[in-house]
Amino acid sequence: MTVELLTIRQAIEGDEAALRALWTRHAPHIDLVVRRLVGNDQDLAADIAQEVWIQIFRALPSYRGDSQFGTWAHRIAVNRTLNALRKTRRLAGIESDIEEDSAFVEMDTDRSFLAASIEQAMAKLSPGARAVFVLHDVEGFTHEEIARDLGITAGGSKSQLFKARAKLRKLLAHLVDVVSDAQNSRTDSGHVAPA
Amino acid sequence: MDMSHLPDERLAALFDEPPTPAELAHLASCPRCATERAAYRNIRSLAMAEQARIGAPLSNWESLAPALRSDGVIDTGEWRVARRPGRFAGVWSQAAAAVLIAIGAIAYGRYTAGGAAAVPGLSRYESIASSRAADSTILFSSVEQARSAQERYQTLYQSAALYLAAHDTLELSPDSPAALRHRLATLDEVEGTVRQAVTESPGDPVINGYYLTTLGQREVTLRQLNASLPADMRVNIF
Repeated sequence: MTVELLTIRQAIEGDEAALRALWTRHAPHIDLVVRRLVGNDQDLAADIAQEVWIQIFRALPSYRGDSQFGTWAHRIAVNRTLNALRKTRRLAGIESDIEEDSAFVEMDTDRSFLAASIEQAMAKLSPGARAVFVLHDVEGFTHEEIARDLGITAGGSKSQLFKARAKLRKLLAHLVDVVSDAQNSRTDSGHVAPA
Repeated sequence: MDMSHLPDERLAALFDEPPTPAELAHLASCPRCATERAAYRNIRSLAMAEQARIGAPLSNWESLAPALRSDGVIDTGEWRVARRPGRFAGVWSQAAAAVLIAIGAIAYGRYTAGGAAAVPGLSRYESIASSRAADSTILFSSVEQARSAQERYQTLYQSAALYLAAHDTLELSPDSPAALRHRLATLDEVEGTVRQAVTESPGDPVINGYYLTTLGQREVTLRQLNASLPADMRVNIF
């Protein structure tokens, strides 16, 4: 039995030291998932992180060791956070976000804004676009999984992802631009239609 | 100057979806779109780097611990007095072992004896349980008789478990959330063992009966746990 499994066994028995050890070891990763999905609202993120940990520890007796504890807890964190965001209506209308072409929180005011980091840039996305981007590009979920978790279609998830990336590309231009003479030749006067 | 370019969202999609032949030809001839495509690749690289980042915890143990105590997740010792670790699980294990011993004795008697004997009654069971000896005088003359005995022992097992839960003075509050969680965890272990036995002997009515009893007890315990939690808290899966 690994040390972690032994700790989990003790935690199931209600051993506070073991529970705290699990929290100490995994909170930096688990809480970061919550922070990414919630965005800028630190108070809400802290409240949800607290709920997430209570849920993880309540469910601990059901952990069967089929996957790493961190992976198992991560999944609970994502589900719980999405549920909490739904309750606060921050994830309402993801599909309408797509129809309205509004992956952005602020359409015009942030045109001159450049984010210092991808975390800061992600916080500028609408909740739905942020959730899709975080789940797909950061957490590695498939569009089918995202669709199931968010109650949207896989096509909607893809559409929202591409809008989110396009938004991030603008916000992070100074970090992602590839220096090239071609950069200066850009015009927005026409598009190639996909075949 | 190139008058047509790939739309931003299409460029954003090219990391996941291959370009069409027309798009590929355009990318080969348009430095601007090729550069944009590279910028989107960099976005993806930043996202993947974010995956490995570690942040300061949002939660803190000082506020988490009281919630876990009131929820019964942290064992505060309220429901345990001078008990050795894992004793609660031990009660269930002992009860399960007693039933298995009794079932084993029945099966042994059925196999070895040639003549018929009375189906054991409750007092007979008590005698067996106290001595824990395989009683070769327990005999059955029919399958119906054996099944009747099996049902009787299952009922007895459940009654004994309920009695212990209500009267074992070493367990002051057996229906506390913490106690119920322990029970669920133990029943999960028992279920796993018996499920394996069912896999190996799918047609064995005794093993199947015991498996169903375990599942039933688990369901009852889950309901008890939900009833013991505050109204806005529910455990749906275990």
